[in-house]
Amino acid sequence: MNNAQLIAVLASIVLQASPLIIAVCGEILTERSGVVNLSLDGTMLMAAMTGFVVGMLTNNVWAGFAVGALVGAIFASIVAFGSIRLNQSQVAIGFVLTLLGDDLSAFLGQNYTRMKGVTVPHYGIPILKDIPVIGPIFFNQDIVVYFAMFLIVGTWWWLNKTQPGLKLRGSGERPTAAFARGVDVNRLRYVYTILGGALVGIAGAAYSLDVKIGWSDGHIRGMGWIALAIVIFGGWSPIRGAFGALLFGATKALATILQRAFPEVSVVAFNSIPWLLMILVLLAVGSDYTERGIKAMPKSWQQPLRRVLRVSPPMALGTPFKEG
Amino acid sequence: MLDFFVKYPRLSRLVDLALPLLATLAALGVGAIMLQLLGANPVDAYGALLNGAFGSQNALADTIVRATPLLLVALGICIAFRGGVINIGGEGQLVAGAILGTLVGLTFPEAPGYIVIPVALVAGFIGGAIWGGIPGVLKAYYNVNEILSTIMLNIIAVQGMNYLLRQPMIDPAQAQLASRIPQTARLVQAFDLPRLVPTRLHLGALIAVILAFVVYIYLWRTTSGYRIRAVGLNPDASSYAGINVKRNIVLALLLSGAFAGLAGAIQVYGVHHRMFTDGSLAGFTGSAGFNGIVVALFGKLNPLGAIPASFIFGALIVGANSLQRAMQVPAALITALNGLVVVFVVASDYFSRRLARSRQIGVEANVEPSPPASMPPALSVEGDMSSD
Repeated sequence: MNNAQLIAVLASIVLQASPLIIAVCGEILTERSGVVNLSLDGTMLMAAMTGFVVGMLTNNVWAGFAVGALVGAIFASIVAFGSIRLNQSQVAIGFVLTLLGDDLSAFLGQNYTRMKGVTVPHYGIPILKDIPVIGPIFFNQDIVVYFAMFLIVGTWWWLNKTQPGLKLRGSGERPTAAFARGVDVNRLRYVYTILGGALVGIAGAAYSLDVKIGWSDGHIRGMGWIALAIVIFGGWSPIRGAFGALLFGATKALATILQRAFPEVSVVAFNSIPWLLMILVLLAVGSDYTERGIKAMPKSWQQPLRRVLRVSPPMALGTPFKEG
Repeated sequence: MLDFFVKYPRLSRLVDLALPLLATLAALGVGAIMLQLLGANPVDAYGALLNGAFGSQNALADTIVRATPLLLVALGICIAFRGGVINIGGEGQLVAGAILGTLVGLTFPEAPGYIVIPVALVAGFIGGAIWGGIPGVLKAYYNVNEILSTIMLNIIAVQGMNYLLRQPMIDPAQAQLASRIPQTARLVQAFDLPRLVPTRLHLGALIAVILAFVVYIYLWRTTSGYRIRAVGLNPDASSYAGINVKRNIVLALLLSGAFAGLAGAIQVYGVHHRMFTDGSLAGFTGSAGFNGIVVALFGKLNPLGAIPASFIFGALIVGANSLQRAMQVPAALITALNGLVVVFVVASDYFSRRLARSRQIGVEANVEPSPPASMPPALSVEGDMSSD
């Protein structure tokens, strides 16, 4: 493989990972506020379908994205209302919505399968795209990729460097303490669940309008689960999450390349690589042996290593909060 | 309205019991509007649905046959969710059990059925237990989130199934043909699960119902079951009380997978008599691994509640198929209808909890209403330590 081919592969990995990154950032916002939106798979299918259809009917890509975001927000508000107001199990609601989104997208979208619709235009950023190697990989893409990049930085900054971000983390870590400090925990959870859902919807539309263009039954089934996995894999941090999404895309690309190189080995072996790898990484990250290994390191290395290698969920994740 | 129920607590309990049914009816009402919009007469449509599900001996048998794997998976889900772990891996566990079960039948075609069938069912149980035990160990000893690992094991299971059915386990007859349909040879007829009545109804349904009672007794009348529930309600307190939390997490997921695996083996020996794949998990499982979760929630995570719940869902699936044939409505409407029922039932739970609270106020008129009974932290689904 020559350099040009390698760069093309890397650029496609970045493109493929972008919707995942958008969804992961959305779900991180939701989960850091203390709510699990398990409905990602169904939400993304619904958003992909509606986004594609509306984009095609109005002949406007942005209308497609707007509707995708709206659908995502609606699904998320059901999760929020059910779990915050009705005090229902978040897992149950999310799971049921997953099934419903899958079915409903198949039902409502059945007349629009395998049609040609609108797509996101390609837009290379001037000057930046001419940087050797990095340019063609990151800056000769389209707006979905740039939006994903913006989200990584934006979400990280919002969470870690701003006052509202502190409140957001507070309501996910210690809601009672945050409440005592005057944070309206449940309202915050509403806001971030719905905002996160809208981003997940945009991610779904990004598939049908850009990365995996078109609509067919069960178009991107499974990607929502992958996004949920990457959120945990990334330790609820947007930067690590983006890294996880890219790693996932890279192992998938690698599997395809290896499969071409070794046609005699079963496809199954290569298809399973990304999943096995993810389980192994999670295993390493969560294992007590890693902690022991870190302890064996010099003192000054321990803290940074721990930050990279260990993950722990927001403490109040999935637990309803009652005022007073 | 709630004041009314405070005066008549008995009536309120009755409403409580009927609530899932009322919710189903409400969902069917919404479905009627959708049918009307599609230009189909809702009355005729639901007539076809009821007729398809209960109209004849054969229809009823089909309903029960469809309900059987749902019930078995739901039993496992009851154990897992009561133990505070979330098992989304029913699909993969079902397939793992089916593969191991099928292997038994394929390896010993000469052996008598009364030996092979029990061995195969046990093999299915073990296959599912392995596939469920892996996320259990990962969760308990390596802090790997079980939602995540069960999803990934689903995907690995489908890859493994596709490989096995295309290469080593493929029907020798298919291996000769160019088409190479990925399926195993049909198992020897002697291994078919006995039929209960001259319909498609097989012994598996009876096994599932018996096991529902067994699981109920296990969870509420044995020490081991008590430990699982205690860990689900409060792992810290359980640990303080000397319960080995890690071991019980593994046990809950392992048993949960085992029941899904048994469902897989029963599907092979009772219904399909072979293993086959269309490339996805749902092709073989019919999504029973996922729908079983819904059934368990519908039955309020009570093994006995899962019996009627699985029956209702089996009826919906079978009846909806004949609705589709009779009325020529799109197949996707049917799945959407199922989804609606689930949403309504889950929503009805809220009302039933308010009823419960109003009862409490009625009984202890001057006492502050106590908070709702504690539930497994991850799952605030209705239920407390005593099931009744």
